Order: sequence, then C-alpha cells, then structure tokens
Amino acid sequence: MATKAQILKANKAAPRTIGRSLLLTSPIALWSLLMFANPQRQSNRSLQIASVITSVFMIALFFKMMRTGSTYRWRRWFFVGLGILFPVGFIHNVMVMRGTMGIPIEEMIAGRTPFCYLPIPLLILPAAFTKTLVFPGSILPGGGMSGAGMAAMAGLWLAITLVIGKGWCSYACFFGGIEEGMAAVPTRAKLRKIDPRWRYGPWAVLLAMVLLSLALFEPAYCMWLCPFKAVSEYVAARNTVGMVQNGIFVVLFAGLVIALPLLTKKRTQCAFFCPFGAFQSIFNKTSVFDVKIDRTRCSPCVLCKTACPTMSLTDESIARGETLMSCMKCGACVDACPKDAAVWHIKGTEVGIKPERARLMFLYGAWAMAIVFGGSIIAEGLATILHIFV
Amino acid sequence: MLAGRAGLRLNTHYLSKFLAARFLGYLLFAAVAWELGALVSLPPAPRMLLFGVIHVALAGVLLWYAYTAGHICAQLCSGSELVSIGVTRKRGMSGAAVLGFLTGLSLCPPFVAAGVRAAELGSVAAALLFFAVFFIGTSVWFVPFVGLGCVTRNEGVITVARMAMVLIALYYAYLGFAMLLGRKVYGY
Repeated sequence: MATKAQILKANKAAPRTIGRSLLLTSPIALWSLLMFANPQRQSNRSLQIASVITSVFMIALFFKMMRTGSTYRWRRWFFVGLGILFPVGFIHNVMVMRGTMGIPIEEMIAGRTPFCYLPIPLLILPAAFTKTLVFPGSILPGGGMSGAGMAAMAGLWLAITLVIGKGWCSYACFFGGIEEGMAAVPTRAKLRKIDPRWRYGPWAVLLAMVLLSLALFEPAYCMWLCPFKAVSEYVAARNTVGMVQNGIFVVLFAGLVIALPLLTKKRTQCAFFCPFGAFQSIFNKTSVFDVKIDRTRCSPCVLCKTACPTMSLTDESIARGETLMSCMKCGACVDACPKDAAVWHIKGTEVGIKPERARLMFLYGAWAMAIVFGGSIIAEGLATILHIFV
Repeated sequence: MLAGRAGLRLNTHYLSKFLAARFLGYLLFAAVAWELGALVSLPPAPRMLLFGVIHVALAGVLLWYAYTAGHICAQLCSGSELVSIGVTRKRGMSGAAVLGFLTGLSLCPPFVAAGVRAAELGSVAAALLFFAVFFIGTSVWFVPFVGLGCVTRNEGVITVARMAMVLIALYYAYLGFAMLLGRKVYGY
C-alpha cells in the first residue's frame, strides 16, 4: 500500500527547472535587494550584514517555492524566523531605550509606546462615539518607541490587508510564528479531538474586547488578554492590578502559544483566541485571492482538513468546495492535497483553471509585503544578535 | 439577545423589560443619591462593598445565561423549563429585568457624575427627573439591539455570544471580588 508521501510524490506536478524558477524569482530578488539596500543601514555594520542575510534568505525561500511548487513549508521558515526574531529586536530596543521590558503608566500616558496592529479593531467604536483614540501611542509618524506611529502602522496594515485579506496572519503578523514553530515540533498531534466550536473563540474575544474597550475607554485586549505581552512589553506591575494582568499574559502565552500548539499541531492562539484574526477574517471577503477545493478532483481524503493549522476546513466546507472565512492562506492544505484539488484561486475565475497562475499572483503580492514588513523585523532581530559578535 | 433565538417581536419585549428594570435602577439610584446627600459621599469601604456585590451578581447572572443558553442549544425540545433571557421563572424575575436592574446600578464615571449632580439638586423630584432624562439619553443606543435576534439563526453567533458572555462575566467577577477585597481595580 502506498504511503502518503508516495501518493503525494506520484500526484504532484514535476518541479520547475532551475532556470525557470530563477526567472520567476527575479522580480522578488530585485525587490528584496532594493528594500535592503537602504543607505541608512550602511553605518551599522551588524545591520548591514543582517540585511544581506535576510535578503538572501527571503530570495532563497521564494526560489524554493517556485522550484518545488510548495508554499507552506518554505513560508513557514520565514514565519517562524519572524516570530522568534521579533521579540529579540523588540526587547533589545526596549531595554536600550527604557532599561526594562515593563512599561510604566507615565510612559503610556506620554504616548511613548509602540503601536501594534492588534488593537486596531478595539479603537473603532470608541473613536466613532467620542472621536478619541483609546490607545496611548502617538498618531504621528515617528511616534512610539519603534519609530512607527499609529498612522504608519494602520496604513501599512490596510494596504496589505486589502490585497491579501487574512493572508496577513500568515505573511505579516509577527506574533504567529512562535506557535507555528511550536506546532511544527511534534511529528504527531497528541490532542486530536478538538471541539470545532472553539473556532468561534476569536469572534467572542473580539466582541467582548470591543464592548469592554468602549465601556472602559481603554484597549482592553492590550490591558488584559494579549499573550504576547509576555515576550514584548509587559505591565510595570506596581500593585495587584499589574500583577494580575502580567499573570494572565504569561498563562495565556504558555497555554496558547507553547503548550497547545505542541499538543495539537495547530496554531491555537490564532485559531481559537486572536481577536485581530477574527477582524481580519472580514477582509477575506474583500481580497481577490482565496483557496478553493476543486470538487472534480477531490476524493475526498480530508488530508487538507487535517493539515489546516487553523481548522478552516470542515467536511461541509470541503463539500462546498471552499475554505471557511478564517482561512489564513498559509498554503498547508494546497501542499497536503495529493490530487491537487486544493488550489489557489482568484475570485471571479473558474476554480481549477490555471491555479498556479493564481498562486504566483498571490505570492508575488504576499512575499513582496513579507519582505517589507517581516523582512525588516527579521533583519533588526538578526542585527541584535550579530551585534554581540561584530 | 445574541445567545437567544428570539425574533424581532420577542426581543422588543425583552428589551422593554430590560430598560424598564434599568429605569427602576436609575430612579432608585437617583432617590438614594439625593436622600443620602449623594451615594458617592458614602465612606469608601461600604461603597466598595456595595458595588463589589453588584459586580459579582452581574457576573453570576451572565455566567448563568451563558450556561443555560448552551443547554437550550443542546436540548431544543426539552429546553422550555430552562432559563433564557426574558423567560419568567416560576419564582423569580425575568432575566432581562435582573440584568437591566443591575446595569442600572452599576458604577461608571458618567453615572457617578450624574449621581453627584442629582445629589446637588434641590428636590427629590428634580433628582428623579434628571435621572429620567439621563436614562432616555443613554437608552437610545439599546434600540438597534432588538434586531439582533435576526442574526441568531446561525449557531456560530450563539456560540460567540455565549463565549463573550463568559469573558465579560469574568471581568465583572474580577472587578467585584477586587472591590470586595478592597483592592484597587483600575490603573497600575
């Protein structure tokens, strides 16, 4: 009896030639070189070396995507690297600027806190009702410790989101990489039966946090539930409130980002908790790219369903030939399908007609943005490490 | 309302009960605030205790709804005896009324400010009128909620509402217990 690997090998299309793969990689290579050939980096030797390494890394991964036809396994290298190196660079910056990872209230009131994209949905209702932003960061470019103000971050987010929809969560988010790395560690999931209703978790957290943000007039998620505070900028605990908040951050991080991905091989924080992910799902409706199941080719073996790290495929959705709106366009299902039935798709076109063209168009957009957004974060983190040696 | 399966008409009925009980809570607060020379002037300890109890009760009610809404989802046919928002039980007030009354008494900065204003007014009638107008102004935002029943045909919406209820209940429980223990609940 043929193994899964043999079936995959037999059914998958032959890899592209090296020449053709190089040709397809050349626009991304040019883009990457332009992005990392920033004159401002020349003065910092470790950042210069880190930029070269990152540029080569991003080009090499794209080349492998072109050569092998596989998306997920190569994207994962980038994404895990981003997830690991973001805290490295961020913590280093915070330590240099402030001397501690804990943010005191005075710093928050002064708006000297970097704006992260996660509270974007929490700002909408308070802003609509009172014309006030409840996040204590600066709205001006250059505001915030990271040098990126709210306007810059929100603008970048909107531009990326409109093109790739929830693909943001697989190509731009600097938080999801740690759990994706954790999920990749075990060969088999120890916890296989997960109640599908947990998929609604992000929407519930979003609803609760939006209402609480409006009621409390503060970014409730950042104050109470963000697991990534544990590895970025925790609350400078001066009383019981701060202790409780930090305790919640650590428990959520340990549970959702470390333990559960190891047990389930899923991106549990993204799939069952992240309110920004739920908000981002809405933009899957505006993006022109999606992943479809070509019913004429599907067996169905449900390998795609098993492979999906966010449980965005169900028996019903496979029967309908589509993914759920929570799909992060990571490409795991496409890679896993032995019949090439899970395909990249451009809305308005027929499913299964030239899916590789749809994949290429999506990847050019997604990878170009990954280089700009994630690539610079990887380079910063790498430079922090290299700084020790150079 | 999101967790229930009620239509527009029934939701209007629930909302009316909710708002009526909330109105009662407002009037009660106005009367107490005026009569006692403003509730906010109570010594800090009993004030914290009172609002701690209210928050814990609110959390308890929300958790109860989240739980019973789950039972109703699981046992549609036999669910008539179980509680959902608005269903009057044999021995008690309807859930919507309890929630309305408790939110009518919950302490938020504008509410405290209104309480102080009521305490400063010359007569109890003026204080009641002031809170009646305050109630009308803040109730307008509830009106669109009657339409929420229309989206609850989807099982996912009910699940989301139940989960959100639990999260909000946990937050209220934290606030309540922190107040009861005399701890600071806001800020760093």
